Amino acid sequence: MSRRGIFFAFLGPNGAGKTTTISILTTTLSKTSGSVTIAGCDVEKEAQRVREKVGIIFQQPSLDPSLSAEENIRFHACLYGMFSYRPSFRLMPAAYQNRVLELAEIVGIRDALFKPIKKLSGGMQRKLEIIRSLIHTPKVLFLDEPTQGLDAVSRRSLWEYINNVRRQNGTTVFLTTHYIDEAEHVDKVCIINQGKIAISGTPEEMKADLLKQELVLDAQDRDGLISELAKLGLSCRIDSHITVPFQDRSAQEIIASLKTRLTVLKIQEPTLEDAYVEYLKRTGGAAA
Amino acid sequence: MSELILQQPKIKSKLLRELNAIVTIAARDITLFFKSIGTIAMSLLMPLVMMGMLGGSLKQNMAGGLGFNYGEFMLVGMLVNMLFMTTTSGVASLVEDHFTDFTQEMLISPVSRYSIVIGKIMGSSFGAIISMAGTLVVGLVMGITLSVGQMLAILALSPLMCLSAGALAMIVIGMVKNNKMANMAVMLITMPQMFLSGAIIPMNNSSGILFVISRIMPMTYCLDLVRAVVYAGTPEYDSVVLFNPAITLTAIAAIMVVCLVIGTFFFARSEKNR
Repeated sequence: MSRRGIFFAFLGPNGAGKTTTISILTTTLSKTSGSVTIAGCDVEKEAQRVREKVGIIFQQPSLDPSLSAEENIRFHACLYGMFSYRPSFRLMPAAYQNRVLELAEIVGIRDALFKPIKKLSGGMQRKLEIIRSLIHTPKVLFLDEPTQGLDAVSRRSLWEYINNVRRQNGTTVFLTTHYIDEAEHVDKVCIINQGKIAISGTPEEMKADLLKQELVLDAQDRDGLISELAKLGLSCRIDSHITVPFQDRSAQEIIASLKTRLTVLKIQEPTLEDAYVEYLKRTGGAAA
Repeated sequence: MSELILQQPKIKSKLLRELNAIVTIAARDITLFFKSIGTIAMSLLMPLVMMGMLGGSLKQNMAGGLGFNYGEFMLVGMLVNMLFMTTTSGVASLVEDHFTDFTQEMLISPVSRYSIVIGKIMGSSFGAIISMAGTLVVGLVMGITLSVGQMLAILALSPLMCLSAGALAMIVIGMVKNNKMANMAVMLITMPQMFLSGAIIPMNNSSGILFVISRIMPMTYCLDLVRAVVYAGTPEYDSVVLFNPAITLTAIAAIMVVCLVIGTFFFARSEKNR
């Protein structure tokens, strides 16, 4: 269960069931058991109401390649009852025209708005899908690997836009991604493996559960430092520097106990990706 | 960024939203029709082949001793046949939409599956009506004409016929998984109807299994209804028209509803079980 407005990341190896879960949550696939509610509506009994409340960016682009970018947006907006259909952009209400032009400007596809989809880059198509999925103001936005195949600049601008939407509209975001760094700042992470939820919590909880923080130290008197660490009951790994994992005591406490003069001092924070990889290692790796 | 906070749907009435969705889906197909020169060319060339070549040859070689004007009989048959063929081909483009994942975009929207299917059929009907116009032009060149009133009557009945054709096509298309199969399915749906429903070959003497098949085909009833309208008040009426128009209309409505329900079910199921 996730509260309204949460940024939720759903991670897992290939074939774990992420896209299947999204398909069930968005009513495009039937569930085999259990019950699911989205924004208070049952996905089986109130499928149409659920579809009013969700927006989705599919793993594979679902644009009509023969239509222009604007025609794809118009199709979506009219299908969702936002506007009565008109056969051209110029005939659509001014509110629609202004909104589409402004959104296209924000995501940087204004110049491509009237070009056929076939002529747009993958990044532009993704941005277009973002505009399209948000034009009916969904309460819950499902992003199924939204940045797959995008370059770093496109990824960054896309996330800036999605984060703005979240802040301003309070939209709940449900993300699946293989770029684990994209989930670093989410409110809640859930790892799924072989169709079952394996672990869930905040990224910090997950990191704390799966990994220790590490101190990276070094000194001219390396032997003295190693001996001091041993006396404190701390194990260490020696390579280019001395790495000291710690969990039960704070970094400050450890450093304060050391008498040896240090030449290197760094606190290494594990990333969510480290925690994710550690989890997969412990559980036997990827599902597929 | 102020525009990020968007509004709720402007169309409040559920019925109007469904109608707007039907128009939107149909309009997409019409837009695609005008964007594809190949589709436009095919819509105009098919009447030349069907009416000009097939119909012309039948008229010259097999139309003797029927007791009515075969040219007019065949023109009506070809008009309905073109509606059925082109609508079926249009509905078959759902298979392509399935591959580009565009069907997902439609199915995730808060509109009834029936609206999606009806919108698709209505959109496909546009190309069908263009083909019908092409058939009339070919008929004119061949010296076979209909009055303005007859043409308007056929045009008025065309949405009903396109819905029947599209609903039947949905049943088959819902089970098809690739473009190659879709093309074969179109042939499978349209050819038997063209030969057994009385479009080009009078079926007054059909018997056995062919008789049974002809009676479950929607095109049989659509053709008969159109001929009842075209031949009303003429001496040929009894030779050409098989059923009472009221019975025909009831049969069309019944077959259409059954096909629409089953076809929509198959379509939705094929997307749910990708």
